[in-house]
Amino acid sequence: MAERFDKHVLKNGMVILGEPMEAVGSVAFGFMLPAGEALLPDGCCGAGGVIADWIFRGAGDKSSRQLCDALDGLGLHRAGSVGSSHITIGAVLEADNLAQALDLYADIILRAKLDEDQFELARQLAIDGVRALDDDPRQKVMFELRERFYPSPLGRSTAGHIEELESLTAESTRAIIKNNFNLSQTIFAVAGKYDFDAVCQQMEDFDHPQAALEAATRRETRDEGRGTSKYTHINNEGAQVHIGLMTETVTPADEDYYNARVAVSVLSGGMSARLFTEVREKRGLCYAVAARYHGLKSAAGIMCYAGTTPEKGQETLDRVIGEFHRLSEGISEEEIERAKVGLKSSLILQSESSSSRAGAIGGDYYILGRIRSLDEIKSKIEETSVDSVLGFLRNNAFGDFTVVTIGPKCLK
Amino acid sequence: MEFKKKNLANGLNVIGEVNKSAKSAAVGFFVKTGSRDESKEVNGVSHYLEHMLFKGTERLNAFEVNEAFDRTGAQFNAFTSEENTVFFAAVLPEYLVEVTELWIELMRPALRDEDFDIEKNVIKEEIAMYKDLPSFDAMERCRSLHFEAHPCGNSVLGSGESIDNLTAEQMRAYFVRRYAPNNMVLACAGNFDWGQILSIAESSCSKWQKQAAGRKLEACGGSKKKERVEKPNLAREHICLMSAGVPAQDPRRFAASILGTIIGDDVGSRFFWELVDKALAESATMQFGAMDGTGTFSSYIRCSSENVYKVLDIVRGIFSGLSKNGITDDELRKAKNKILSALVIKNELPMGRLIDLGFNWIYLERYRTNRGRHQ
Repeated sequence: MAERFDKHVLKNGMVILGEPMEAVGSVAFGFMLPAGEALLPDGCCGAGGVIADWIFRGAGDKSSRQLCDALDGLGLHRAGSVGSSHITIGAVLEADNLAQALDLYADIILRAKLDEDQFELARQLAIDGVRALDDDPRQKVMFELRERFYPSPLGRSTAGHIEELESLTAESTRAIIKNNFNLSQTIFAVAGKYDFDAVCQQMEDFDHPQAALEAATRRETRDEGRGTSKYTHINNEGAQVHIGLMTETVTPADEDYYNARVAVSVLSGGMSARLFTEVREKRGLCYAVAARYHGLKSAAGIMCYAGTTPEKGQETLDRVIGEFHRLSEGISEEEIERAKVGLKSSLILQSESSSSRAGAIGGDYYILGRIRSLDEIKSKIEETSVDSVLGFLRNNAFGDFTVVTIGPKCLK
Repeated sequence: MEFKKKNLANGLNVIGEVNKSAKSAAVGFFVKTGSRDESKEVNGVSHYLEHMLFKGTERLNAFEVNEAFDRTGAQFNAFTSEENTVFFAAVLPEYLVEVTELWIELMRPALRDEDFDIEKNVIKEEIAMYKDLPSFDAMERCRSLHFEAHPCGNSVLGSGESIDNLTAEQMRAYFVRRYAPNNMVLACAGNFDWGQILSIAESSCSKWQKQAAGRKLEACGGSKKKERVEKPNLAREHICLMSAGVPAQDPRRFAASILGTIIGDDVGSRFFWELVDKALAESATMQFGAMDGTGTFSSYIRCSSENVYKVLDIVRGIFSGLSKNGITDDELRKAKNKILSALVIKNELPMGRLIDLGFNWIYLERYRTNRGRHQ
């Protein structure tokens, strides 16, 4: 069956995207609101997370409790995230309840109560969340890494900074919502079982307060250049040293994007990939070692994590960096073939999930301005070869590595 | 949706749920063995053995195994719990036969000394990694405190010491006893040809020898003990509570699972409104865990040191309120809706379906459709 995508632009400018899926009884949707951390004013890092909590604490004619009960009553599973570019709020649920869910989400986005006392609770939870990261060094190291790797403010921590969260007020946060919940720049994506005309009609009929329509155009991301600090160590008397490492690569819109993806897959796609083989299987240095592609609209990197006991930390870091460098020296046909099969297979396996598809079509539209079909992605992966990947690696040699470690021992 | 099953002469159960409209298929071996089946001397062997199955057979070395999986583009992995070791893979339908044959081959591993020695380092790294995850560390300590001498209190990973002392010889002996065909289920879900998979299983697994692979089942009421561990590098309080629940075979397991959702689902539960919504704890969840012949309710709560007594008082209040007044009709309705829709969503993927299918057979020797539970 040929893939079909739906697209419609509402009068207020909001883009509605859809991908129907025959085999499922569920539907997943997400509103991508242009209020990601990188788009927020300076000095309020973490506000995205506070907002994503606060707007659920009462909306329209419902109190916090009534709203939550209504969502639970639909058997709806919330799926929300705060990223660099967007706050995405959405859900996955059985398809029959979609219209009722969208009415509730319209209230949450357009008519959240935003009460002062509820703000304090949402902010307190965000602060506690940052403190809890100290007890989860594996996750913390990746937040610290992104912040140091990406040009400011792209890598801002979506968990937030305690001092900036403490200085947030209900008033300043309301102002952020007013400025950034700009429907003309919001993308809505739905995938699974739905009636597209009915969804569009329902969304067109939402009663929009004027404020949302007239919201300020969101500010452009500034590029303040990469941070100069290449290695940072954070001391923690834990059992392991947690190593996060990132190096620059091409963005999703670049013509070399698929070469980059295949290269990362050769490095860390499956259990036969280079990092797992050289670091874990041959030497037993780590339990967890993996690299993946991490792309934003205007910057991208290859991000790697390895955790090991302190006495093996230096050897692990040296091996991992060694494997990045060794990639451009040569790749076998079999390695490329396995990398390509792995990428294609994971694409199709994910395409069975309504949540994955809703996320994918929304993300594509934001980054590329259009939705890529599975066939297009498959054929682009197909087109890569040993020569194309090696050519890409030689023209885009891994140079600077941003490295962060958390553990009892600093590395060189 | 079509359910198929066959019990081979050596006791291996082969089961499948065919869904021709799926784009993928999933296959897995469910082995009824875990840390509860270990003696103190070999604690951690089930999980270590799970790693060693990927190290190859007489015909394949570890690198060849990894390459064989990756050539099919499979998303594959394995996990070990207190009572099960599960090996699974999701693939495009055209690769299912190849991956099934590979799993079957791996179920009779070489368990070479040199692989055993290298993998010991990886196991010890895994133990170290979980030590840096206080939520896991506290839960494991709580489980051991709750079960005391009952074998379900055994650590899945084992300790640095038990792993250091474990020999390849001990592992091989454990393997022969526990990876017997009558102690395993081969399950498939999604888009596949049942006849083809069954004939592969019949021709390749029939030579596996039946063993006396029993398991002693004893109830456990729980120790009701308390323990506090202080670690200077921790920023938060990590609280675990465990109490006795009903076994996986008990018809009340559905009620127990609904109760877990009502008390401790991540949103909309009693824990949520009393603790998380009020910002007294940033995380507070409870789950019912059905086990073979026993069961648990386990809670995990994370909060600041200042709030710890207040939080514990509230938790006690929630529990005593429940035993006095029970639950409301509205709570019951919401919990059912949440559990049912989660099932529907999870089971849309052959991988999600495989896990339910396998566990239903392991515990109940029964097939249950996606619908029907909790109704």
